Amino acid sequence: MHSLGIAFDLLFGSPIIFYSIIGLTWGIVGGSLPGISASITMALLLPFTYGMAPVQAIVMLACTYIGAEYGGSIPAILIRTPGTNSAAATVIDGYEMKKQGRAGEALGISLWSGVIGSLFGLVMLIVMTEPLSWVALAFKPTSYFALGILGLSVIASMTNGSLLKGLAAAVVGLMISTIGTDPISGVTRFTFGSPELLGGVEPVLIMIGVFAVSELMMQSGSKGLGSIGEQVRVRLPSLSMMNKLKRSQFIGCILGTFEGLTPGGGGSIAAFLSYNEAKRWSKEPEKFGKGSEEGVAAPETANNTVASAALIPLLSFGIPSSNSTAVLLGGLLIHGLLPGPRLFEQNADVVIGLYVGSFIATLAQIVVGILLLPICVWLVNRPRAYLAGFILALILSGIFTLNTSISDLGIALGMGLVGYMMRRAGYPFLPLILGVVLGHMVESSYRRSLLLSGGEYSIFLEDPIAIGLLLASAVFVTLSLVREFRDARNAKLKDAHA
Amino acid sequence: MREQAALKDLAGGIAVLAIAGAYYWAIGDIADSTLSDDVGATGLPRILAYVLAGFGLILTARAVMAGALSPAAGPAPSAPAPAEDDDHVSPVPRALGFLAFGVAYVVLVPIIGYLPSIALLIGSVALYEGAPRNWKTLVIAIGGATAFWGIFVKILGVHQPSGWFF
Amino acid sequence: MRHLAIATAVAASLSAWSASNATAQTPVDYPHKVVTLVTHSSPGGGSDVFLREMAKHLPKYIKATFIVENVQGGSGARAISRLATAPADGSVFYATTPTYIYTSLLSKTQHSYKDVEPLVNFFTDSEVIYTRTDGPFKTLKDVIDKAQVSRGRWGAANPASLERQAAEQLKKAAAVFPAVVSHEGGGDLMINVLNGTLDIGVGEIPELRPQLEGGKIRLLATFDPQRMEAFPAIPTVKESGYAVVLEKFRGLAGPKGLPPAITKIWDEAVPKLLADPDYQKVYKAESLVANVIPHDKYQGFVQNFGSVTEAFLKESGVLK
Repeated sequence: MHSLGIAFDLLFGSPIIFYSIIGLTWGIVGGSLPGISASITMALLLPFTYGMAPVQAIVMLACTYIGAEYGGSIPAILIRTPGTNSAAATVIDGYEMKKQGRAGEALGISLWSGVIGSLFGLVMLIVMTEPLSWVALAFKPTSYFALGILGLSVIASMTNGSLLKGLAAAVVGLMISTIGTDPISGVTRFTFGSPELLGGVEPVLIMIGVFAVSELMMQSGSKGLGSIGEQVRVRLPSLSMMNKLKRSQFIGCILGTFEGLTPGGGGSIAAFLSYNEAKRWSKEPEKFGKGSEEGVAAPETANNTVASAALIPLLSFGIPSSNSTAVLLGGLLIHGLLPGPRLFEQNADVVIGLYVGSFIATLAQIVVGILLLPICVWLVNRPRAYLAGFILALILSGIFTLNTSISDLGIALGMGLVGYMMRRAGYPFLPLILGVVLGHMVESSYRRSLLLSGGEYSIFLEDPIAIGLLLASAVFVTLSLVREFRDARNAKLKDAHA
Repeated sequence: MREQAALKDLAGGIAVLAIAGAYYWAIGDIADSTLSDDVGATGLPRILAYVLAGFGLILTARAVMAGALSPAAGPAPSAPAPAEDDDHVSPVPRALGFLAFGVAYVVLVPIIGYLPSIALLIGSVALYEGAPRNWKTLVIAIGGATAFWGIFVKILGVHQPSGWFF
Repeated sequence: MRHLAIATAVAASLSAWSASNATAQTPVDYPHKVVTLVTHSSPGGGSDVFLREMAKHLPKYIKATFIVENVQGGSGARAISRLATAPADGSVFYATTPTYIYTSLLSKTQHSYKDVEPLVNFFTDSEVIYTRTDGPFKTLKDVIDKAQVSRGRWGAANPASLERQAAEQLKKAAAVFPAVVSHEGGGDLMINVLNGTLDIGVGEIPELRPQLEGGKIRLLATFDPQRMEAFPAIPTVKESGYAVVLEKFRGLAGPKGLPPAITKIWDEAVPKLLADPDYQKVYKAESLVANVIPHDKYQGFVQNFGSVTEAFLKESGVLK
């Protein structure tokens, strides 16, 4: 009852609602700028929070995170540029829908799914923090290896009928992930002496290159294809559509919670896995990749769930499970707050304030989202020639923000060329992205496991989580391959009949 | 048409082989460390290089068998082959031309600074993409650049590259 | 948190605020109104918090406004370049930690740690060996004993870091051969200590505080030269019988050729700052050990640290 009192005080007695909406709006804007990830959006805000009361600062930062996860889907849908790493899976069907003139609908679905995901994550955070916090501890290097393999198993169903080309693309992605400092010995690999590459290549540079730059190259010289020519209107899903999206959103909620709890991911694995599972369990799997509403809903639910669920290990152990929660941890520490079990006792006002603020932001997301969307839709409806110039300028300005490094611009443009050639030669590039995102996790946890066991492979069989995840990957790959071959055979039969 | 697709696959297969080769060659620069494990810093890279080379060989062989080297697979006819999922495919020189504007920006920005180079980028890309050569394009380029500068430099406080002049 | 590079100029308001809180101390005049403190750390990261806390209290002793600028990326290389190309007039300094020495050694940086001039050292971070409370280890000796009879499992936060170096040196001093597993940072390492994957971890107090206060983590020893003030019961590694001592320094460096008038002001101000009761409260909570190394000695200290590190990296083959 006492905490309920605090909650009411916070809701009506202090301007917490104000900070939560400012944070949310800032998050949506920052997240929608390509290259400016959720963590950077938060870090940009951090200095402004120094003078605030702790609860205000923390609420503002947490709401920025919620906003940024949604904001990342806006450019993913409109200009094929994931605003954040975890919006990469949204590009697949979101941009298809935009090409079909359904950008407003796609944005509405993303918004609605974001709200569902945030709410679910928030309920988990409030009700289940204690029972769920053990999950973060249960993950050992062997489990991370298996989690990475599970992520890579998605490749089998993302090769667009050309398994060999897809696998080749995945290997190239894994190769890119080996650039930087070796995770075990600390020697440098493929850095050619450059300090810029010591920390590896940011996945978002690769994504922006192969998705956005290659698309601009592909579209160069076309007339009017860029503008969507639809009415400036955002469409929230209808009741029947909400009903249809339920299944994919459920998948997103579960996988998002899971990833939020486990350090290292940050949303992109959950987004890809949910996309894949939503496809598997969908009544219309054939629509995936061709503008499926569920294909937008699943990853967008997942990445917003992650944003709330990631607070569970942060608050209960002080362990940040992503870059964004690491910034939030910095915010807590700057205000003299120490996460951990004692935070709930000593600074209950901050914890409850955080719950209240996140809740407000989640609901306000609908309103703010609807208010901001017409502006975005108007922007992409400008004449194509100008739009192309603006998008390229936006991309090059945005990714400079990552490291203030000009060589990053070169990497993104180079990957644009690679993406263009891959498209011309019929190579799917989602496997490449997955390889880049997951390579480091798979390699480092594999080597860590073997180092711990002294080279005994049996260590993978001693970890029940690893066994479960590896079995799941095996089942996924088998199912995907069976479907792939069946589709290919059916296509051949059709050809023969025609 | 089929031969042409095979030709493209041949080029792809050879490119994959080339990547595998270049990557394998670069493995030689990785130092051996006593701090390393049994797998070692070069363990995964070696495997990746072999696997990719294998894929490259199969892809190349498959393309050859599909008739990439048959006389029918001459130079591509002028109309570009449409890719399966895209409405528009711009020819290679046109696409490379587009990329060149980005490269020019990267070269120019440390010299002339953020504001002028982003204005040049917006303006020149717009002209390349068929915007009319009139004052409107000029105004949009300069106005757009100012807006970018306002958002990134003033509001976000990100130091965009400053050149020798600005 | 690996990369982000944002420049923030916030401290102006902060230092104005703290100046009004200042005690009767009269600050020394300084030739610059605004002094920029550069760090490679992102906002909220270790060096960033160090500088921002310092910027709050410094104006009591040096009459200037202190602004923190985050120049991240390139693992510190860009921040060193920013410093090396700045005027050597006392208006720009850089927060030094061993990171910048590692980066200079491991890559071909445009400017290395030898191109900047160490100004004065403030602190030593306490590096500790820790284990889980409900685990089998009560002392460092238990850990070493286990490593002698079976495969020890030790953890360090990052590859090619001071913590890793400490673990390797301890291995050598104790003549045992455990696996030393490096991680993706302190949080990642702590999970594996808590869940029993690792026997011990080598880390810093600030990362461990939540679990220390929650009673989940037990400290076994510190690599500090003396026992830690906040944990007087915890022995040093040296006392435990293994001659390994580590000083993770935290100080400032400037561009080469700092005028003596400037270095003198800092040499005099820093001991006063560290004796400030308000500031002591802040840094003692983080188990930072005040360790003033004045300008004339600091250069030798950093050069020596650099050559010891270089020798270690060469010996272990990380550097060719």
